[in-house]
This record gives sequence, structure tokens and C-alpha cells, in this order.
Amino acid sequence: MKDRIATVKENVQVADGIWSMTLAFDDFEKVEGAQFLDIKLPDKSKILRRPFCICDFDEKKKTALVCYAVVGGGTEVLSGVKAGEKLNVLLPLGNGYRPVGKRIMLIGGGMGVAVLPAVVTANPDKEFFSYIGFANAGKVVLEKELASKCAGVTVATDDGSYGKKGFVTTVAREAFDAVRPDEIFVCGPEVMYKAVRKTFEGVDVPIYVSLEQRMGCGIGACLVCNCKVKRADGEGYVRVCKDGPVFLLNEVVL
Amino acid sequence: MSNLKVKIAGVEFKNPVITASGTFGFGKEYGEFYPISALGGICTKGLTLNKKEGNPPPRIAESYGGMLNSVGLQNPGIEHYLAEDDKRLAKEDVVVIANIAGSTLDDYKAIAERINDSHADMVELNISCPNVKQGGMAFGVLPKSVEQVTRAVKDVCEKPVITKLSPNVSCIADNARAAEAGGADAISLINTLSGMAVNYRTRRPILANNNGGMSGPCVKPVALKMVWDCYNAVKIPIIGLGGITTYTDVLEFMICGARAVQVGTANFINPTAAYDIVKDLEAYVEESGQDVNDLVGSLILN
Repeated sequence: MKDRIATVKENVQVADGIWSMTLAFDDFEKVEGAQFLDIKLPDKSKILRRPFCICDFDEKKKTALVCYAVVGGGTEVLSGVKAGEKLNVLLPLGNGYRPVGKRIMLIGGGMGVAVLPAVVTANPDKEFFSYIGFANAGKVVLEKELASKCAGVTVATDDGSYGKKGFVTTVAREAFDAVRPDEIFVCGPEVMYKAVRKTFEGVDVPIYVSLEQRMGCGIGACLVCNCKVKRADGEGYVRVCKDGPVFLLNEVVL
Repeated sequence: MSNLKVKIAGVEFKNPVITASGTFGFGKEYGEFYPISALGGICTKGLTLNKKEGNPPPRIAESYGGMLNSVGLQNPGIEHYLAEDDKRLAKEDVVVIANIAGSTLDDYKAIAERINDSHADMVELNISCPNVKQGGMAFGVLPKSVEQVTRAVKDVCEKPVITKLSPNVSCIADNARAAEAGGADAISLINTLSGMAVNYRTRRPILANNNGGMSGPCVKPVALKMVWDCYNAVKIPIIGLGGITTYTDVLEFMICGARAVQVGTANFINPTAAYDIVKDLEAYVEESGQDVNDLVGSLILN
């Protein structure tokens, strides 16, 4: 973990409201899947850094990919950054996803899909089966990137305008018996975790999720990005940035 | 002759830069970025007698040039601090200020007594947390209660006591005088300004707690004025805070009457902010031959 100066190599729109930014660093350290980075915006009125998952990375080239949706003032500023500009970036942050089993089912919903490529890149000895869902065809991202490194990729859209019609959680559940994964890793909005909990009820493999929350420091000091977990010692708040962002789904209080 | 050392209530700081309570945890996380012994001091996260869960998320919202928080004093409790953090911090060559909060006078007394057993060099009384219904804010509003809580703690506390003042009051100078009358060894100001961030789409406040405390560069002018007002009201030393992000901000606060300063929100903007400010101050006094103590209250009014 270090505050580094990154050079923006590319920052382009890749789908409806979704941008992809490649950052190059002078030095790079090992990244775990689902770890995140924290970008200082080139606008002094916006003082808080913006956390994004590390979408993918290349240890040799010392680059990290950030895939983001423009949803507010901060991401709007970020989308205006040009290739060649420099940004202060803290990385890698948080506890990533460390798969134990061999066959892993990945489920991503919307921008949550952006976590998945790095999970695959960080674990070249595992076999991944990806199920990615979007609202419609215009929002589909990262299908090709995942297809090139996974044993299989299935796309679903809520309106059926691309791939299978329906919620990706349902599509993944239907495939579960055939895939027989050792573990499941899910990333998406909270409503999706509720759906996974319901659809995968009784499934006897560990299910991990990556949470997000508005953050302050990004390193565990300020206690603003809390989420509630239930463990043997009771229910209480933990820090998404430092204790997470990856948690066992059955520990998270949704 | 160039000098960065300052003294407050008999405690010597190697430089006037202290990290503000609630922005720095117990020094562990930022210790991964730089040696915290480079700082003048650190203020711990606000401690209460028992563990406190704090408010539900979201607890943070950005505002123009600033931010609002509504953490609500989440902390592991004083016993956990004494067992886990106190000894580790004692090994660091840095002044440790234990920030304490309570909801009754007895709470404040009880926690101040427990702090007597710690290695902390000083105690900062949080009587101005805007995020907890009974997080001390009730004590921070009226001069009479500021004096009362300060005196209650002074009666039992063996360490120098700093009363941290709220800006959300009618006359902060009155509260500064009240803290002094209650026996405070120093005062620190300002705590966060009460505020709200609203989402026009949902028509709801962004913070789950609805209200929060505003901090960051945007509050600096308010803080400078209040430090100056208090400097003219009391004789005890003042620790100034509110929007400090650079060494020149530190100089401005000292000129307005602060003997030392606290750096808070800047830590989020840049994890090495407090360390960078110390380095820049060192370079400044080296080059200018300035003793920072000579700056204190040197403001020339127009």
C-alpha cells in the first residue's frame, strides 16, 4: 500500500455511461483480486478520494485498469482526464478475495462486473466460470476480457436485449449443478446479494461478496465506511476498506 | 533563532502539528505511511467508557471544498484502548492526547480516572461531538456546562486537560472563558460545524444520521476568526484546527493565536498530509530563522 503517482495511459468511454481508464505506475506491488485503489481527483473542490476496484492489472507492464460508471460530480471529473495526465493513486487497498478451491463461480452485476477480471488475473491456477448481468445491451462491459481468461462466460440482461434474459443470479443458480464450483464470488449492488442469499439457499459452498460504501481515508482510520457483520462474537460494525471489502455472504447483515 | 518546539501546559511538542481526533484512529494505519514520531502529537479517536457502535452508514458526504461526517463516536471503549493501543503509543516519541467523551458528568469523571492509568500525556475533552445525541454536545453549548464538565474532569484527572470547543454556539469566546474558569489547561477549536448534505433526487439527506459535522478547507476562515476571538478572551494556550492542509495554514492559525494546531480532514486528502506539513514547516523555519512561538497572536489588524 502506497500513495503513487500514476500516468493516465487511456481514458475512454466503453459503454453507455461507462468508462475505462488505464493507469501506469513506476513501481507496482502484488495485487489481489477485489482489492481497490483510491484516486485523488484533479479538482480541489472535491477533496475526498474516489475508491474504485482494481478492474485488472498487469504486473509486468505495471498498469492497472479502472472501469467506472459516471454517476456524479467526481466520476464526471474523472471522465474528463486526458491521456498523459498524472493522478495521485493509493493502492493496493483492502483485503482481496483469496480463493481456496479450484473451480470458482464468479457472479457480477452491473458495475460489480468490474471486479472480476482482476480476480481471474490474480489466480492463474484456478478455473473460473463467469456469470455477468446488466440492465440492457448498452451496459454490457468486460465480456471479451473475461472470455479470454475464464473457462466460460455467460451474459444475462434484465430486458433480454443481449445474452440470456433474466437476472444473472437466477441464470447462475441454474448453472450451479452443472458447474459444481468449490466457491462462489459475487460482486454487485446490495439488492443482488439479497437475491443470491435467497436463490442459493442451501447451496453448500462458501459464497464471498465484495461490499462498497462511501469512504473517507480508505485505509481504516476514519471509520466512515462501516458495514454490519454477524460473527461468533456477535453483531457489529467492521470497516469495508480495511476489514473488507471481501466478506463471507452469510456474515454480512444486509 | 529558528525553532518549531512549542510547549502547552508543561508538555513539550517537537513541532506544533498534532493529528486531530477521529481522523487518525490510534495511529496504526498512518504509521504504515510515515513514522508518526515525526509529528508533534496525535489525538486519539474519541474514547468512551464502553464500546460504542456509532451511527449507521453512510457516514460521510462530500461538500464543496469539504466534507460532512456522522461517525457517532464509534470506538472500542477505554479498556480496549488501555489494553491494545496505550503501550504501543507510549513507545512512540510523540505526545499522545487521549480524546474522551461521555454523556453524563459521571461518565466524564469515570473515563478521566481510567485515563490516569494510561501513558497518555494529555487529555482532550470532547464536549462538542455533533453526531451523538448525548455525545457531549449538550455540554458544549452553554458556557455554564462547559465550565461544569471541565471542572468535573479537572477534579479527578492527573493529566493536563484540553477542552475542545464547538463552533455551533452563540459566542465561542464565552465558552473559552468558561473552560478557563473550569480549570482547563488549554482549549482546542474548532470541532466540526453542524451541517447537512441533500440528494435532490431522493429528497433525502445523504447521511443516514441526517446531520453531520462539516470539516475541510472550506471551514478555515470560520476557524481562524474563532481562534482569534478566543485568543483575545483567555490566557490559556489554544490549539487551532479547522481546514488546515498546508504549512502556510499552520502559520495563519498561529498568527491568529494558536500555540499548536491539529490536522484532520487533510489526512484523507493525502495520507502523508500531516507529515508533509511538518517537513514544510521545518524547511520554512530553517530558511526564515523563525521561532514559531513568536508568531502566536501576532496578527496585525487593519
